[in-house]
Amino acid sequence: MEIQVWQIIALTILSMILIWDSLSTAIFDGKPMFAGILAGIIMGDITTGLAVGATLQLMVLGVGTYGGSSMPDYLTGAIVGTVFAVTSGQGVEFGIGLAVPVGLLMVNLDVLARFCNVFFAKRVEAAIDRLDYPGIKRNIWFGMIPWGLSRALPVFIMLIFGEDIVNAIVNHMPEWLTGGLSVAGGLLPAVGIAILLRYLPVKKYISFLLLGFFLAAYLSVPMVGVAIFGVAMAVIEFKKSVNGNQVVAAANAGGLQEGLLDGEYED
Amino acid sequence: MENMKTNETKLTKNDINRVSRRWIMGSQITWNYEKQMAVGYLWAMLPIIRKLYKDPEQQKDMLKTHVQFFNTTPHMGGFICGIDAATEEHEGYKAKETVRGLKTGLMGPFAGVGDTLFGVLFPTIFGSIAAYMGQEGSMVGAIIWLLVNIAILVLRTFTAGIGYREGSKIITSAKDKLDALTAAATLLGITVVGALVATVVKANVTATFTSGEITVAGQDILNQIMPCLVPAAFVGFIYWLLGRKKMTSTKAIILVMVLAILLHVVGILG
Repeated sequence: MEIQVWQIIALTILSMILIWDSLSTAIFDGKPMFAGILAGIIMGDITTGLAVGATLQLMVLGVGTYGGSSMPDYLTGAIVGTVFAVTSGQGVEFGIGLAVPVGLLMVNLDVLARFCNVFFAKRVEAAIDRLDYPGIKRNIWFGMIPWGLSRALPVFIMLIFGEDIVNAIVNHMPEWLTGGLSVAGGLLPAVGIAILLRYLPVKKYISFLLLGFFLAAYLSVPMVGVAIFGVAMAVIEFKKSVNGNQVVAAANAGGLQEGLLDGEYED
Repeated sequence: MENMKTNETKLTKNDINRVSRRWIMGSQITWNYEKQMAVGYLWAMLPIIRKLYKDPEQQKDMLKTHVQFFNTTPHMGGFICGIDAATEEHEGYKAKETVRGLKTGLMGPFAGVGDTLFGVLFPTIFGSIAAYMGQEGSMVGAIIWLLVNIAILVLRTFTAGIGYREGSKIITSAKDKLDALTAAATLLGITVVGALVATVVKANVTATFTSGEITVAGQDILNQIMPCLVPAAFVGFIYWLLGRKKMTSTKAIILVMVLAILLHVVGILG
């Protein structure tokens, strides 16, 4: 399928809107899940967009860009991956195989955008010295430009020139690479999960990690079912920690009484 | 004129709503490596500064105070703006040092709770449900996630108002509940992650073992030991890897890709 001019323009604008949204209103929160779906809608193939977005989403679970660290940009990766999965007709795995290197390359542009904004921040400070309010406002909003361009330019360039390159890759890609990439597609979510486990106090709640695994692996409980179980446990934990002291005291008293009862039975 | 003078240091509900909107829209627009969200904070407080301080030198000084290094969770920054606005309304210019202390003192604790809730747990819980359903071809999970994000956005518009009303009391009065909420949400997140290990990491073992005339598929042997053994072991491996010095998530991703190709070529995974 050939990509249309209006689709290139729409996808370029989409990449800008999604990065701006992730910085402010965050309803799509910069997540590849939504980027894949929206790119799929523009390309007229929601199923492929949904699948590309979902798989990339699993890879980045728990990866946030807080504290200013740059993460691989699978938001842009999902857009480009979805487009090429549709235009090449090679399917979802192929799209993901492209989205990953694109996401990794895009880190550099994210860093560049954050550097460019140092320049505008300096101009804001200069405007403060002059007490020039229009200047302050103008330079604050100029900050949107590096952010927007850092996504829109590469997407535009890849969509304009990418097709020949993509076709060349498709025709010459050996089996060990395509097969290897689909194995990687299955394994990569492990990275997202492991990053997440590094963030969370796993040692404190290790029993719940095991319970979640047990429910899914042995009992084949679907994810929503596991979440319901988790909510039930979370409510108990919440109540326990809100009146932590009373509960601890009560538990100690209970334990003492139980101990006495045990003793009686043994006699 | 007389009326304007007596009212000039009072902030209205409208002023606070403006701070809220401006913080949501502008907190990260000029994010930069030097002062991070400083410019965004300035943007949110700009109308307050212009309203409260009439002396140009004081204005300039407060503008500079608000363009110092600042970084917190975007979802939580509204509280700090609100607390700041309340403090400046009551104490005025002499509160400059207090405001500076408040900002730096609060941005850490708010980020601690906010990053966990909005940066890690919400995206994990709803993202994994959405992605799981998405892989099965269903949009329902993604739509639920979108609705949750819209709900969060609506709630964010109230943060500056709450911060303003509660003033600096908020962090002490709400601290117990915030901790409990964080603990409960963490527990839920970890339970979901446990299930994720079993469902979303896929490793199909193609290796077979031949002994005489009997050929046994490697996957069957592994399943008898434990279902999802390879995914669980693999997550454990990456977890260990990420704990090593100089290891980053990006390096881990590259390593997994190389490893996947190698394991495929030698015929262990397919």
